Amino acid sequence: MIIRKKYLFYVLAITSSFIAAGVTGIDSFVGSQSAFKYDPWAFAFSLFFIGAVITLLISLVLSIKFKGKNLGAKILDPSFKQLRMIKKSEIKYHLIAGLMNAINTVGYCAIVSMVQDPSVILSFSQIVILYLLLMESITEKDVPTLVEVQSSVIVAFGAILASISLTGEFQLLPVLIVFLVVNPTWAVFSIYQRKLKIMKINNRPNDSINIRFWNVVFSLLFTAVLILIFDLFTSGSHLIAGFVTSIDPYYFLLLALTMGTTFFSYVLYIRSLGMGKASVNNAIRASTIIFAIPFSILLLQLGIITEFSTDPVMLIIKIIGMVLIIMGIISFALAVVKAYIFIDVETGTPLRETMNKLWDIRGVSHVSITSGKYDFIVKVSTRTLMKGYERIIKKLNEIDEIKKYHWESVLKDWEKI
Amino acid sequence: MISAYILITMHPGKSDKAIKEMRQIDNVAKISIIAGEYDIVVRAQVKNLEELLDVTDKLQMIEGVNKTTTQIIEKEISLQ
Repeated sequence: MIIRKKYLFYVLAITSSFIAAGVTGIDSFVGSQSAFKYDPWAFAFSLFFIGAVITLLISLVLSIKFKGKNLGAKILDPSFKQLRMIKKSEIKYHLIAGLMNAINTVGYCAIVSMVQDPSVILSFSQIVILYLLLMESITEKDVPTLVEVQSSVIVAFGAILASISLTGEFQLLPVLIVFLVVNPTWAVFSIYQRKLKIMKINNRPNDSINIRFWNVVFSLLFTAVLILIFDLFTSGSHLIAGFVTSIDPYYFLLLALTMGTTFFSYVLYIRSLGMGKASVNNAIRASTIIFAIPFSILLLQLGIITEFSTDPVMLIIKIIGMVLIIMGIISFALAVVKAYIFIDVETGTPLRETMNKLWDIRGVSHVSITSGKYDFIVKVSTRTLMKGYERIIKKLNEIDEIKKYHWESVLKDWEKI
Repeated sequence: MISAYILITMHPGKSDKAIKEMRQIDNVAKISIIAGEYDIVVRAQVKNLEELLDVTDKLQMIEGVNKTTTQIIEKEISLQ
């Protein structure tokens, strides 16, 4: 099926957010259980311990072939062939992403244990978009434009408004954990998951199911090490408590439910990370706030949470927040200019060197050496035409080997999924 | 796997219907409408040159297609 790639990207990111909102609801319930309420360390270990088991089982089921194609490729990620061993080139990225996920989850579990309403839990974590913009300007080839910064700020503040709770008292510790632990680790985690997704493994795009499986394995490893160190220094027994709780059938089923659901949310998130920058993905992921509200109401009806206000002022603030989130996402979606540049080079110039020079230009997403009328076909993305001129055309003019080139703006495109 | 860009010039006013037909062709990975010397860029992914010929053949059979220029990709770096 050939559809517009932009639609697929948004469908993946929004579906992932919807599932994530459901997961947060389940997590709030799990976090309020006596075994985890006062022990976020044990909660984090149990999550990854059972998460590794359940992720392995789901991945194995998805590896089953059906009419010549496995289930995972059919329903989740067309790049998936089967569960495989990790490649050497991936290890560095998995180590960093695993460590970040482990620290992030311990922080997240601590917050879930402290606060009841999931839409409040999610609030300040949306500021992560701003962390990502800053990091991407350092690590990626694409410096954020004014439109990206504006849209991200709109989404971040919209998310805060949408998730504000007038009835809940302000708790400093969870907010500090969000700013100092959850946000930085999530930003690094997202960037490294994206790096993994855009890698080529055996000349095929890397698949999100294997990335998720190995991430859970590494996260379990790091969580266990972190808790062990913490236990040794404090003479605590959080690791043992986490393990004992994990093998309790009731908790096993609860955590299997939350981690099984999380698996699908993450696989879609990782896949969408392969299509767009982490900051844009996280801006779309802020829609989790909107989806979390019906889940919060459901939990309120079930009597699982009590801190959810239906005060009209509160609802107006939440609605303003939701409108801001939607506006921000739409402005992200509309503010992209893509183009092909067809390039002829002087004969006798080394093509590989010119290729590297072209690749170093910010905003270039594909460089192809081709045989035929043109020597190179380059695909570029930029937020505005002015930036396209400033960042791309000026740089092309500086490459001596280029004889002539012409820019052809993309008006609309479709891509096979 | 061979990848190629097929650059297409169209007769005016025929693009919408032509794109609908292009979307049905096997081995077409991407279609972009562009503004400039060409009207449409198609990216094809095929196992061999025989299959590439099939794709260009099918493209040329579509009403409104004026001319195709095929650029076979020899090496590529991409973010995705």
